[in-house]
Amino acid sequence: MSKGLEGNANRGVRELGAEEKVGWDQVSQGVVLNSFVGETENPAFLKPEERAYNDFNSYTATVASWRIIKPVYNRDICIDCQNCWVWCPDTSIISRDKQMLGIDYDHCKGCGVCVEVCPTNPKSLLMFSEAEGAETALANWPEKKKKEK
Amino acid sequence: MVEIRWHSRAGQGAVTGAKGLGSVVATTGKQVQAYALYGSAKRGAAMNAYNRIDDAPITNQETKMFPDYVFVIDPALAFSDDITKNDKPDTQYIITTHLSKEDLIAQIPALQDKAERTFVVDCMQISLDTIGRAMPNTPILGAFMKISKMYELDFFLDNMKKVLAKFPQKIIDANMEAITRAYNEVK
Amino acid sequence: MAKEFELNEVEVWDGNYATSQALRQAQIDVVAAYPITPSTPIVEGYGAYVANGYVDGEFVMVESEHGAMSGCVGAAAAGGRVATATSSQGFALMAEVLYQASGMRLPIVMTVVNRALASPLNVRGDHSDMYLGRDSGWVQIDAFNAQEAYDLALCSFRIGEHLDVRLPVMMHQDGFTTSHKAQNVYPLKDDVAYKFVGDYVPVDDMLDFSRPVTHGAQTEEDWHYEHKAKQHKALMDSRTVIDEVFAEFKKLTGREYKRVETYMMEDAEVALVLLGSSVETAILAAKQLREEEGIKVGIVAPRCFRPFPYDLVREALDVPSLKAVCCMDKSAPGGAMGALFNEVSAAAYSTKSRPMMTNYIYGLGGRDFAVDEAKRIMKEQKAHADAGHITTDIQQFSGLRGPKLGFFQTRRG
Repeated sequence: MSKGLEGNANRGVRELGAEEKVGWDQVSQGVVLNSFVGETENPAFLKPEERAYNDFNSYTATVASWRIIKPVYNRDICIDCQNCWVWCPDTSIISRDKQMLGIDYDHCKGCGVCVEVCPTNPKSLLMFSEAEGAETALANWPEKKKKEK
Repeated sequence: MVEIRWHSRAGQGAVTGAKGLGSVVATTGKQVQAYALYGSAKRGAAMNAYNRIDDAPITNQETKMFPDYVFVIDPALAFSDDITKNDKPDTQYIITTHLSKEDLIAQIPALQDKAERTFVVDCMQISLDTIGRAMPNTPILGAFMKISKMYELDFFLDNMKKVLAKFPQKIIDANMEAITRAYNEVK
Repeated sequence: MAKEFELNEVEVWDGNYATSQALRQAQIDVVAAYPITPSTPIVEGYGAYVANGYVDGEFVMVESEHGAMSGCVGAAAAGGRVATATSSQGFALMAEVLYQASGMRLPIVMTVVNRALASPLNVRGDHSDMYLGRDSGWVQIDAFNAQEAYDLALCSFRIGEHLDVRLPVMMHQDGFTTSHKAQNVYPLKDDVAYKFVGDYVPVDDMLDFSRPVTHGAQTEEDWHYEHKAKQHKALMDSRTVIDEVFAEFKKLTGREYKRVETYMMEDAEVALVLLGSSVETAILAAKQLREEEGIKVGIVAPRCFRPFPYDLVREALDVPSLKAVCCMDKSAPGGAMGALFNEVSAAAYSTKSRPMMTNYIYGLGGRDFAVDEAKRIMKEQKAHADAGHITTDIQQFSGLRGPKLGFFQTRRG
């Protein structure tokens, strides 16, 4: 698996909402939330896995347990159109240099939007049961549909 | 403490005049207040401006006063305003009018017993002749210098020039002429 | 670079002009404002300084006071020194955003020219708008005359921007009585004033791209309370910073300010507690009454309305000779005792002397506060002191036409 799919060690380390609730003396001044630990140069030009995300950033939280069904990605069919990347409401489509790499399962809630917007035939993304293994899913991928006349 | 009440119409420059007087007085180390009672008034509405002058810092923030001097800088207000309100036995009145002192007093009952402390000067005509429009606020100060003997005319003119410094030279000169004429013409 | 403004050692300025000069000298980055009587000349003046090159900053035109304060919040979060001015209805329209500014810990300085709140519509001065701001989490400082408006506007930047405070500051002055009354003002030279105010030090500024931050996050029951407690502590603790800034200002100018001003309280038997320009009139009345009738009157004037100086008010009232205190509120109390009465009484309750406390409502909508009326009220306090109990209603109305209006009687008689 590429580094891009794994992300950095900080990604999805805790269940969302399970953060330690500090007292009034430790909360941030003015409810200001820092995205990163310390100073960072040009974070906009860094890939997520290269950024030192702060505990306050949702990058370090996971919502994987919220998911009942999950999208599975089929590289063989994908045309890298980036539709799923644009539409995903949780920035859980991992794409590098306009090439689709896969799903960020730490942050995907299983909403299925990516499948809905996928334009290929058959689709390059399909929803499967959370318990379904990726290999079984890919093995059961449907055939191309014929155009109805 | 010297207290002055101005009777004016909004737009005739009473506030500017009161502040101008205050600015001149402040250069001599005295403490001053210059304020007005105005609010949603329209141009032309009757209004009052006020000055307080003292050697010590002035802490009286009450609007009402028992004036030592009353300036009436609009001719009609001498008739319609209560210009002798809060009169003291030695309150002096300097009134803009084209009438003679006798004719004016004859028409204003409140001034009947105040002839020896009422003074007239035609600030309207003076400002029309010199400044070119009805701006009675600076000439009345010339008349005030004559009556109060607060400062020598030349001293007052020099300091008033500094107060008016932001205006074009022509306007400053016209105001100096207006102040001088009122100083000489007040009766 | 901004041009230097030529100033005389003594100027004859009204409170508005004095304030606008102080804002110019502080070299504010952004002023977002929607002019309203009687604070309009502050905004006008600042706009002229920007247009004529005396300030290196931006004047932002907005569509309302809500927009003005929103613009200030945005500019302050971005990392600039920010100020604005307002009064009355404009203040009321800002109310929502005032809480945002303080909660976000943005040290905006707002010069408020106090004016009555409609209805009935009224442009003159009372303290309705100042009272409206008292739970908004801002520091509220009160100037009693034009010189103080100038001085305290400069101090406001130092207080609000102090890294231990980082809270917005309202600098109040009375509409017309102070804002439109010209008097001797002794300004500082531009460089001296700016050196006192100091360069702005941004904190968590959004324009720092090397440290991206989120401002204005949502919190629910699990976090909100802690944040508000922290904010409250910062406001309470700003008392020491205010004292420090006032001390430094005194060193620079010789002009002394305290969070609570006291006059002739050392041997006072009766006292008036009040705010704003009326304090000066009351001092004059107290001096006269001491001379004329030998009544020992003192005056207590909270310079700092928020944080409420519970400590110093209590200290001021803990005078063994003190028997009766009248708190005067220049804001329609809306079905309660006056706010100043309530707060001062709470502080007085923990003194040894526990003086008798009464309340006067006065000066609403700009009703003149006369020296003679101040003396009458002082004599009434003396009557309470002599009788050993409050001889009038506890809440009364000063300078009101019509039948006598009053509420509640003492049960200590």
